[in-house]
Amino acid sequence: MFKREKRYKEPLGKLEIRQLPWIYFFLLPSVIIFLMFYLWPIVTVGYTSLTRWNGFTAPEWIGIENFTRLFGQTAFRIALRNLGWWSLIAATMHVGFGVLVALIFYKGPPGWKVARTFFMVPNVTSVAAWAMIYRFVFRDDFGLLNNFIRFFNPDFSVNWFFVSPYAFWAITFTWVFYAVVVTLVVLSDLMAIPQELQEAARIDGAGGFGVLWRINLPLCRFSIGTAVIMSVTARITMFEAIDLTTRGGPGSDTMALPLILVRNLSNFNYGMANATAVVMFVLGIIVMLAVRKIFRMDEPVY
Amino acid sequence: MSQKSKNFFNQIPTYAGMYAVLIFVTLVSIGPLVWVVMSSFKTNAQIVGSPFSLPTAITFDAYREVIERGNFFTYAFNSFTYSTTATIASLIIYAMAAFVFAKYRFPLKTLLFSVMVATLLVPGHSRTQPIFSLIMDLGLFDTRRGIILVYISGGLAMSLFVLRSAFMSIPKEVSEAALIEGAGFVRNFFQMHVPLAKGGLATAGILMWLGHWNEYFFAALLTTSARTRTLPFALAFFSEMFSFNYTRMFAALTMVIIPGILVYALTQEQVQMSVATTGVKG
Repeated sequence: MFKREKRYKEPLGKLEIRQLPWIYFFLLPSVIIFLMFYLWPIVTVGYTSLTRWNGFTAPEWIGIENFTRLFGQTAFRIALRNLGWWSLIAATMHVGFGVLVALIFYKGPPGWKVARTFFMVPNVTSVAAWAMIYRFVFRDDFGLLNNFIRFFNPDFSVNWFFVSPYAFWAITFTWVFYAVVVTLVVLSDLMAIPQELQEAARIDGAGGFGVLWRINLPLCRFSIGTAVIMSVTARITMFEAIDLTTRGGPGSDTMALPLILVRNLSNFNYGMANATAVVMFVLGIIVMLAVRKIFRMDEPVY
Repeated sequence: MSQKSKNFFNQIPTYAGMYAVLIFVTLVSIGPLVWVVMSSFKTNAQIVGSPFSLPTAITFDAYREVIERGNFFTYAFNSFTYSTTATIASLIIYAMAAFVFAKYRFPLKTLLFSVMVATLLVPGHSRTQPIFSLIMDLGLFDTRRGIILVYISGGLAMSLFVLRSAFMSIPKEVSEAALIEGAGFVRNFFQMHVPLAKGGLATAGILMWLGHWNEYFFAALLTTSARTRTLPFALAFFSEMFSFNYTRMFAALTMVIIPGILVYALTQEQVQMSVATTGVKG
């Protein structure tokens, strides 16, 4: 994607120079959008995170005070701790489940396409609607889950979204099994593995598990790495599923960075809001670099 | 026992395990939705008393109430207009850029493309304050245009990426033929290349449309009045309005989720392929 192509270095021909105005005209709307909605916002966020600013008066330089104040807040520290746990769960259970389903789809038992169709459905419906649905699914009185559990344990009674520590797990459940993006990305990598490689491994005496462990999974490390990056990054920006259910509670049990950002924004603490944004941004970059390193994604697979 | 049937019996545990996972996938993916749709036809007492029972009669009273009292059509119309307008505008804007990125060379090409695609790495919510202030400064707060503008901007990285590779797969002979026929730059794009990039345009378009149709965060941030409200954001209001009438709440939920599922059902293969290639959430 970022590879430099050699032929750029040849000088442009006459026709190409004549086309330049058209070329830049075609680029213009995209460039304006980039400047207005990406570059300028990122610069603003970076600069004003170091200021005290209410959006009306001029920002006042205060150095890293916003960050020290953020890290001093219990809610923020709990949000970071939650993010840590959720990232770990995303990278292991969520991606693991997605890969498991991808392997089953790859094996292709009759009916797998039906399951694939259904698996995609939560992903095309609004997160807000799902959050609402989960408010009902997790209800103690007529909720789907507790009534199901009561078939086996009639005395079971938990108010999932409102009681510690269950709220954390209820929020986790709203995304942990919905791993269809992981599945589809890994599946398309599995499909691309040359048959000869697997046959060669079998001739060398590898069993089904050996082929899986030594050939298929290592060859999919690029897509699995991508899946880890995507699912952990999605944890950093998780908002609707929390704001429409627990609102970060009980206490700050299910607090997350975007909730803190929005809270500061509505209190006109723009400096604090943008300091939170910087933390999100930096964490995203760290995750990407770390995962690329761990999965050796900058080396060619074949 | 023949070799073949022995293999078959050995594989029974494997298949049992695989089907257990597939059934679980199906249950968590559509179980809650089926329950919601089912409950929207039950009375409050039935919902509370016997959560798993089937509805005894099919009446659309709850749906009618939601439509009449909940302004449902206004919100659905808003959501549809925002999603469709933003998608069409994005496709035109980003197809133009993707076309020149794919087919021409010019100074700053690599830099421009890299920084634009790299925006995919910026967590969406981290740009909240500047976008909020920008929309305020432009005087577009709580307007249709404001929301549409923000939605258009959201598709930048994904569309450029998908559309550029769509245009790159068109052979360069097409441009040469256009040149010989005397077609200018603009005609070469609209008449020769756009029809050939239909697949890529559909992929990017469907992904963006579904994303906008389901969007909640910016809709909640940038609108206040019922006039501009979208369907996902309206859900938050429905839950107050119908707080103890579960039947209506379930009917409202059903009406919010069905359109997205219908669009998906009609474009299934395309959606699955595009998710696989872009890794972007629909």
